[in-house]
Amino acid sequence: MKILAVTACPTGIAHTYMAAEALEEAAKKRGYDIKVETRGSVGVENELTDAEIREADAIILACDTAVPMERFEGKKLLNVSVSEAIKNADELIDRSLNANIYKPNVKNQENISSSEPNKKEPTGIYKHLMNGVSYMIPFVVAGGIAIAISFLFGYDSASNEGSLAAYLMGIGGGTGAFGLMIPVLAGYIAYSIADRPGLAPGMIGGMVATQINAGFLGGLVAGFLAGYIVLAIKKYIKLPKNLQGIMPVLIIPVLGSLSTGLLLFYVIGTPVAAINNGMNNFLMSMSGTNAIILGAILGLMMAVDMGGPINKAAYAFGTATLTAAVGTGSEIMAAVMAAGMAPPLGIALATILFKNKFTKAEIEAGKACWVLGASFITEGAIPFAAADPIRVIPSLMVGSAITGALSMAFKATLAVPHGGIFVFFAVENLVGYIISIVVGTVVTALLLGVFKKNIAELAAQSK
Amino acid sequence: MLINERLVLLNSKAKNREELIRELALLAYKDGKISDIEDYIKAVLKREAEYSTAVGFGVAIPHGKSDSVIDPFLAFAKSEDIDWDAPDQNPVDIVFLIGVPEKDAGSLHLKILANLSRKLMKEDFRNSLRNIKTSAELLDFLNKSELGF
Repeated sequence: MKILAVTACPTGIAHTYMAAEALEEAAKKRGYDIKVETRGSVGVENELTDAEIREADAIILACDTAVPMERFEGKKLLNVSVSEAIKNADELIDRSLNANIYKPNVKNQENISSSEPNKKEPTGIYKHLMNGVSYMIPFVVAGGIAIAISFLFGYDSASNEGSLAAYLMGIGGGTGAFGLMIPVLAGYIAYSIADRPGLAPGMIGGMVATQINAGFLGGLVAGFLAGYIVLAIKKYIKLPKNLQGIMPVLIIPVLGSLSTGLLLFYVIGTPVAAINNGMNNFLMSMSGTNAIILGAILGLMMAVDMGGPINKAAYAFGTATLTAAVGTGSEIMAAVMAAGMAPPLGIALATILFKNKFTKAEIEAGKACWVLGASFITEGAIPFAAADPIRVIPSLMVGSAITGALSMAFKATLAVPHGGIFVFFAVENLVGYIISIVVGTVVTALLLGVFKKNIAELAAQSK
Repeated sequence: MLINERLVLLNSKAKNREELIRELALLAYKDGKISDIEDYIKAVLKREAEYSTAVGFGVAIPHGKSDSVIDPFLAFAKSEDIDWDAPDQNPVDIVFLIGVPEKDAGSLHLKILANLSRKLMKEDFRNSLRNIKTSAELLDFLNKSELGF
C-alpha cells in the first residue's frame, strides 16, 4: 500500500510536523509506504509529485488551512483536521483506504467555469494559461477603467501633477495596475505549474519581460519558463534533510528568479530589441507607399502583440508623425489609434455574440472591454489573447488591419496621441473614422466566432 | 541556543494552563528573550483559544509568534497534572513554551521546532523527559536528541 498525506496548521510551527510524524509512524506499523507533505512556516517540504499521486492508493489531508487540491482529482481522499491525525493516525490510515474518490467542486473553479455542469477540468498548458489569465483580468479591468476615467478629464490631464486625473493614471497606468498585469500573468502561470514556489520567480520574470518590452507574449514565456525551472530545481537539487528547510526560502526563490530573469534578458531580450528596431526601420522605409496598405500594416502591428515590441514600434511611428505634423492632424496617428481600439471592442462584441466560446470570467471582462476599447486601451484584449493566442491574435490582427486601412482610405486625421472616444473632437472626418472602427470591430468579433472553440470542447480536447 | 538552564522549570506548581504559561514566559522575560511579556502571553493565549496546543500523551507545546519576542526561544517545564483541554483528555505534565519573532518565519529555528514536534510523538522521548531530574540533564538530553541546536 502506498499512502500520501498533507499536513498543515494555521501557525505551522508544531502540529503540522506532529501530525506528519504520527501518520508516518502509523503507516510504518502496518508496513505501508507513506510520504507526508508538510506545509508549515518553513514552507512546503517533501512536496508530493504528480507521479507519486498517480501511484498512491489513498491520500490523507490533515489540514486546518487551505491547500492545493486539484492534484488529487480521482484519488481516494480523506479530509480531516490536524488534531485528528495526531490523535488517531492509525485509524486514519485504514479509513483513507476506504475514502471517497475526490472530485473537485466545479463551483470553486470560477476561472474555468462554463455552463455545463459535468465539464472536465482542463489540464496542461491550457490550465496554466487560464490560471494566469484569471488572476490577470481584475488588474486589466481595474487599471483600464481607472485610465478611462482619467481620460474623462481630458486626454492629457494626467500630466498635471497632483490632479485627480494624474492619480487615476497612477493607479491604473504602467506604474500601477497595468504594471502588475504582466507580472501577475506570469506569476500565476508559474504558480499553476510549480505551486507556491513558482510565484516569485514567475512574477519577477514577468517584471523582466516588461522591462525588455516583450509585452504579454514575453509574460507568457516568463511564466512557463519560471514554472518549469522551479519544477526542475525541486526535482534535481537534493539537499540533506536538515538543510531542506532552506529550499523554499532560499534556493528556489533565488535560483528560480535568477535563471528565469537571466534567460529572459540574454535569450529573449536580444531578439525583442531587434524586432523593435527592425520594425521601426521597416516603417520608416514604408513612408510614401500606398496609404491604405500602410494603414493595414499598422493595424496588423497594433494587434499582434499589444504592448510588445511590434505594437510599440507602430505606436511610436504614429506619434512621430504627430510631431512632424505640428498643429494639423496625422492620418497615420488616426489609423494607429483606431486599430488599437478595435481589438477590445471586437472581443466585447464577440463575448455577447458567442457566449459559449468564452468562460464566465471572460464574459464579465468582455463588458469592461467596451470601455477599454472606446478609450484606446488595447490592453483590454490581452487576457483573451493570452488565454488562446493562436486563435485570438490572428482574428484581432485582421480586424485591426481593416480598421487601419479604412481609416487611411477615409483620410481621417487625429491631432493627439491617445484618448479614444474622448479625443474624437480632435478627429477630422469623424464619420469615416467611426465607420472604420465599427467595421474592424465587427470583423474581429465574427472571426473570433469562427476560430474560437467552444469552451467545453477545448477542455475535453486538452485532456 | 534556543534553550538554556534559565529557561527550565522542573517542579512547577502551577494550577492551570495560563498560570504555567505565565511562569515560563516570566523566565523567558528575565532571560531577555521577550520585550513585552503581556503582549507575548496574549499571543500565546490567543493561539490556545484557536485550539489547544496539548497534543495528547501529557504534552503541551504552547507557542506564539509575536513582535515582542527578541530571540526565538524554547522553555521547558515539568508540572503537576494540569487540565489543558487535550484531545485525549489526559492532563498535561510536560510543557514546551515556544517563542518566535513575528517577522522571523521560515528560518532555521522553525526547523528545529518542527523536529522537536516530531520527537514528541515518540514514547521513548517523552519517557526520557519525564525521568529527567536536573536542568543540566535536560539540556544534555536535548542536545543528544539531534534536534539541530
